[in-house]
Amino acid sequence: MNTHSRMAGLAATVGLLLVIAAGCSSKAIQTASDSSTEPGVVKEPRVAEQDLLGKSPSAPGQGRGSEEIQVAKVAPSDAGRRHAEDIRREQVATAIAGLKDVFFTFDSWNISDEARHALELDAQWLQSNPEKVVTIEGHCDERGTQAYNLVLGEKRAKAVRNYLVELGVGTGRLTVASYGKERPFCKEHDETCYQENRRGHMTLRVR
Amino acid sequence: MRQIRTVPLIAYLVLGAGLVGIMESAATDVFLEATRPDFQKIPIGVLEFEGVMASGNAAERVAEVLKADLRRSQIFSVTDLVKLGIKVDEKLDLLNGAELPLFKQAADNGVAVLVWGKMATRDADLVFDGYVYDGGSAELLVGKRYVGGPPAVRLMAHRLADELVSRYTGEAGIARTKIAYVSDQGGGRELFVMDYDGHAPRQVTADGFLDLTPQWSPDRRSLVFTAYRNRRNQTIDMIELATGKRRTLVALAGLNITPALSPDGRYLAFATSQDGNSEIYTLDTRTNALQRLTFQPAGDLSPFWSPSGRELAFTSDRGGGPQIYVMNADGSNVRRLTFEGDYNAAPAWSPRGDWIAFVCRTQGFQFKLCLITPDGQKRLQITTGPGIDDSPSWSPDGRHVVFSSMVNDQSHIFMINRDGTEQERLTSGGMRHSSPSWSPA
Repeated sequence: MNTHSRMAGLAATVGLLLVIAAGCSSKAIQTASDSSTEPGVVKEPRVAEQDLLGKSPSAPGQGRGSEEIQVAKVAPSDAGRRHAEDIRREQVATAIAGLKDVFFTFDSWNISDEARHALELDAQWLQSNPEKVVTIEGHCDERGTQAYNLVLGEKRAKAVRNYLVELGVGTGRLTVASYGKERPFCKEHDETCYQENRRGHMTLRVR
Repeated sequence: MRQIRTVPLIAYLVLGAGLVGIMESAATDVFLEATRPDFQKIPIGVLEFEGVMASGNAAERVAEVLKADLRRSQIFSVTDLVKLGIKVDEKLDLLNGAELPLFKQAADNGVAVLVWGKMATRDADLVFDGYVYDGGSAELLVGKRYVGGPPAVRLMAHRLADELVSRYTGEAGIARTKIAYVSDQGGGRELFVMDYDGHAPRQVTADGFLDLTPQWSPDRRSLVFTAYRNRRNQTIDMIELATGKRRTLVALAGLNITPALSPDGRYLAFATSQDGNSEIYTLDTRTNALQRLTFQPAGDLSPFWSPSGRELAFTSDRGGGPQIYVMNADGSNVRRLTFEGDYNAAPAWSPRGDWIAFVCRTQGFQFKLCLITPDGQKRLQITTGPGIDDSPSWSPDGRHVVFSSMVNDQSHIFMINRDGTEQERLTSGGMRHSSPSWSPA
């Protein structure tokens, strides 16, 4: 068969399919340009697909032909504002109590002599305020991976907790949390700032 | 019925190589394919698309997105037809396609595939017809119609790109995959999902504090992630993207981090510090049975499944600094994989099985991306420059790695070819984007 007649034959087939497709397209092809902005409603664009050559889609990996990843619109939330208010209240309470933070060297969770001194003062305060509970937050500088710093931050927080327990503070009054490198105190990118961020941070709980 | 040749010879060769690779790989989890270094890209030409006035510049936008997709595919090399002197704005139609001199010109210049399309409107919808011709014979191989609203223009191009990749390689294309990541939003870190090319970012959580390290479920419907629902209690949650429905999978005492679902979706590997220090566990999501895999006084974290689900790579500082280890999925047969450098972390096993990407600290004390083979025999660094790189995640075709890189106050998400070429920034607005995870195809 020469190219000319092959193309003509093909064109006839395709033409017929197009006529059929056009005739039933309003029902056969459902489109969804869903522009809803309500929370929880899927708003991904959608595409209906049709083979103009009249072949069933057989290419591998096309099995999900009509199945795009759908992402629901997130409901608005004031959780961020509430967290920020809680954090501010705790900062004020912690500052008034005079609780001291401790600092670490790179990739380390050893309690230094200076840190021991600070924690002795913290322990004294906790012993004279037996109704108070604190959260010890472990923090890291920006170097290294996010995940490893979460673990490192927890090691720091637990090292602080263990020392306070040694000094006689009840474990029930001490909660540990690690924020890794996610919530730095200082945002510059030098050693002074890194030092500030490698921290066991005392937070007085406010109820 | 006439046969239409859909898969050219080159693809048969590639598939053949792939099959041999799979047979050989039973013991090693390695799947070889078109990423072999000797794989020749298929030269493809995209002609000027035709569009009616009412469709605005939608036809041009489809062509642009399509060309970008094809370039990223690493299967095709997009030929500049104009530079070859080929008239790209010929009105093609099915009747005289073969008669046009441009097909002969294309064939003479080695262009193996030509793509043409036209955009029309129907009511509020756009109707795009895409045609794929064999460059040599002018044979029409593919004719696809895509119908959707104006916001679907990029998706139409992505569909045609995936169609081409799948026709010529037998593999699923990645143009419609997505990337989950973490972004600053109103003082908190929230989960987001964007298209694989950085377009259309959508916020997924609004917890207001810290949501970290998202990973996809293999069915692409959900993300598992490290969730701080309040500031003291921290869990591993799963969120179904289409509905926003959420449930907590792990709420053990202590830090519950770095979740990853097994390739069959049944087991959740994660790290928890309920035993005092961070250990790796698996949770059978059907029976809720917990199995502890590591027993070390050191920190074990960031488990990542091999594509077969038989092994896990993970980070451990049992030898001092963090290093990458591999173990069987039941915790047996632990062996250390990385020995170069004193800080290696955040492993991600390629879906093809042949490489594990991870963060390596260089001699210059920089945190960059490295690759290592699962047998430890080959290792190479694939990123350079000043950024602190983190969270490598593979494209489902194993040809790209997405990662975050922080320079000064800005952290952005980048993709890079597996061989370290063609780094492309994906996030544009905002200051801090991190922890990318590439969806399955």
